[in-house]
Amino acid sequence: MDLFLQQTVNAFALGGTYALLALGLAVVFSIMGLINFAHGELMTIAGYTLMYCGLAGISFVFAVPLALLASMLAAVLMERIAFRPVRNSSGATMLVTSFAVAMILQVLFQNFISVRSQAVNIPDVISGSILIGGMVIGTNKLLAIVSTIVMLVLLDRFLSKQKYGIAMRAAAEDFAVARLMGIRANTVIAGAFAISGLLAGVAAILWVSQRASVDPLMGFTPVLKAFIAAILGGLGSLRGAVAGGFLLGFIEIYLAAFLPAELQEFRDPIGLGIVVLVLVMRPNGLLPAASLKAEKV
Amino acid sequence: MITAPMRHILFATGAIILLIAAIAAIALAGGSAIERTVIVFLVSLIAVAGMGVYSGNSGILSFGHVGFMGIGAYCAALLTLPVPLKTATLPNLPVWLASVQLDFVSATIVALILVGIVAAIVGLAIGRLEGSAATISTLGLLIIIHGVTIGWRDVTRGAQTFFGVPRETTLFAAVIACILALVVARIYRDSISGLRLRAGRDNAIAANAIGIDIQKERLISFVLSAMIMALAGSLLAHFLGAFSPKKFYFTDTFFLLSMLIVGGMSTVTGALTGAFVITFITEVLRRLEGGFSLFGLEIPTIFGTTQIGIGLIILFAMFKKADGLAGLKEWEERIFAREVKPPEAANQLPEKEAAPELVAQDLIMKFGGLVAVNNVSLEIKSGEIFGLIGPNGSGKTTVMNILSCVLTPTSGSVLLDGNDLVGRQSNEMADLGIARTFQNIRLFPELTVYQNVYVAALSTKGGRDAKTRTYNALERLGMLGRANEDSGTLSYGDQRRVEIARALACQPSLLFLDEPAAGMNREETDQLMETLRQLCADLGIGILLVDHDLKLINQLCDRVAVLNEGKKIAEGTPEEVRNNPAVIDAYLGRSA
Repeated sequence: MDLFLQQTVNAFALGGTYALLALGLAVVFSIMGLINFAHGELMTIAGYTLMYCGLAGISFVFAVPLALLASMLAAVLMERIAFRPVRNSSGATMLVTSFAVAMILQVLFQNFISVRSQAVNIPDVISGSILIGGMVIGTNKLLAIVSTIVMLVLLDRFLSKQKYGIAMRAAAEDFAVARLMGIRANTVIAGAFAISGLLAGVAAILWVSQRASVDPLMGFTPVLKAFIAAILGGLGSLRGAVAGGFLLGFIEIYLAAFLPAELQEFRDPIGLGIVVLVLVMRPNGLLPAASLKAEKV
Repeated sequence: MITAPMRHILFATGAIILLIAAIAAIALAGGSAIERTVIVFLVSLIAVAGMGVYSGNSGILSFGHVGFMGIGAYCAALLTLPVPLKTATLPNLPVWLASVQLDFVSATIVALILVGIVAAIVGLAIGRLEGSAATISTLGLLIIIHGVTIGWRDVTRGAQTFFGVPRETTLFAAVIACILALVVARIYRDSISGLRLRAGRDNAIAANAIGIDIQKERLISFVLSAMIMALAGSLLAHFLGAFSPKKFYFTDTFFLLSMLIVGGMSTVTGALTGAFVITFITEVLRRLEGGFSLFGLEIPTIFGTTQIGIGLIILFAMFKKADGLAGLKEWEERIFAREVKPPEAANQLPEKEAAPELVAQDLIMKFGGLVAVNNVSLEIKSGEIFGLIGPNGSGKTTVMNILSCVLTPTSGSVLLDGNDLVGRQSNEMADLGIARTFQNIRLFPELTVYQNVYVAALSTKGGRDAKTRTYNALERLGMLGRANEDSGTLSYGDQRRVEIARALACQPSLLFLDEPAAGMNREETDQLMETLRQLCADLGIGILLVDHDLKLINQLCDRVAVLNEGKKIAEGTPEEVRNNPAVIDAYLGRSA
């Protein structure tokens, strides 16, 4: 039972990170239909900012906002330089563009920073652990859960109460009409990218604080999982992305913990197999996006 | 069965054979280093063509196909590996597999069949996903295949190198396989299945309405493309002699995808162009990667020059030519137009079938709390033009969607000649004799006018006399002169006409027209009315017409029903309905 509870905490922590990433993907997808392959590189940029701050002797407390700022800025720049020219193209065109961006950024990291993984200084407070109700819980896990909740609440408030947030939801439902109502396309899209950069930055800090290192391909695996989480939840649906992220986190952690040893090697295929089964039953995901139903015949 | 003019296929095949033979000749003249590059190029080309068969025709980008290449490689290699080596390196292999040793060709054929079976199962599972969701699920497929390959140590040696595979892939073998794969890909594109799939890619709802089962066609192309990938995999395995699961993962996927995308994924011309451009640039950049001097300036070693190069080319291609360098048409399609000749039996109109009656009773359709259609009953007889009118939002289109099975009513029944239609798939309608057009035009914009109509004829009534039906439909609507134009480039009125021609090619007994005159001027509308009248008279087709244009309705319809707020408020001849106080009330409002 203890093991189960312990793993549940782990699942929430991992699922939360996936949820933040998937949410970042979904915010952009819902507005412009782009699946951003270069989302992982935003994570890597935040990770490297943490590393350089550590090298420059900047305290972690200041390094965190700097890292978030860096990934937000990178996301907005990415949109301005690479995605604006293909804004009205098909989904495949945009996806391929983002994949080229990811490839170029990875090579740049490898050349200008390092091919190898670099250590990042993480304060002892975060790498420590605390005792709650007989369970030893890593502070970083707790941090992950808390930050996920905070981010989700903040985003929800922003989208339901703030003017820009409401404009974004309108744009996600029907971009053409939203523009006709006087919502500026460039502002909304830049805002969506800034949010997705912020979410990637938070996810990166959580990711790095568990591993204490950064490498050029750091964002690749978690974002791959976030893609799958976003599909699982329902592509373009924000609530779906969160649900998919958590579900994927649970599937992974429980499989790692409870799958018999001889099957552990097949953990990823089995996990993805479960995802496929869910999708076969619900092809539009757990919580499908509203825009799917809107098509008129 | 090929839907393209024979000339296209012959020219394409000839060009493919000549080109590949020329490349082989260069390789033979160039020495062994060049020969190796050329073999790798040919294998990549097979793989790109294979990916194109699925992605190009269905419009769904796939990341998973390199996984099939991997399965093909491992399967064929396991079968050709000499038995003594097999027992030494893979001691835990099942006995039956450990004792088999086949020649290269049979092993490849077995691999193709196995991959075909795997792809059929996978295709059934992911066939229901659409667009980007389908793309990402193929990414999952790649990870699953990779994971299983690494985990299944007894058979694959896990992450370690699988070695000792006889090097049987000669230049000759690669050339033959490449020609074969390209020709198969080219023919599939213009096969009935390929044409249907491309129609579904352009507009899924319209494709359903003319009787296309998109998921079936997707599955066919998925299996075929996976088998072509297996061929590439087997060739690669027997070229390299040693490989590991890493060979069939993201690096190669991205490499092949970039060829597919840069060249243009919907044509074989594009696959060739993309493979050429990317291979050429990779070879050049690879030589520069180690550093070089330019005008006395020393350029240092830059790690990953090829990747940056490919990345920039993709960006350039996406910004400037999003459909790829070769665009959406094969070269031979650009050069030689299709000749539309009247078929020998052109003027023999198909016999009048005893047209059935459509009876809808007590239809109710609720969307959440909104009752869009409330207790509507209709009867449409053969040979009559039945008008359905009403103010905006009165439920006209919803009724039409229920009758054509796009929507399932909350309650009520629809009987066609005594058969219940409720709950059927919308792609069964065309064969039952109901064809329709749409309020927002739904053509297949990347297909020519001829193909738009022809694919409908091919997908209904078992495809009998498809050419004759296509010709007759085009002639009736006066679109023969534009048969070779892409339907997406036509004017609004012409697009409406093509849509009606397409519905007509299904040889329907009932034709549903949703605002056919929208966007037409008075002259065009009059022309259309004449055409519709003749349809009824000549073919005995019953027509259900939804429109706002009261002049059109009054002059054309035998009977009219009026809907208001989901309810039928009047029915009768146009004369009767015009004088009905309830109708005047709904349209003009009560005079104070």
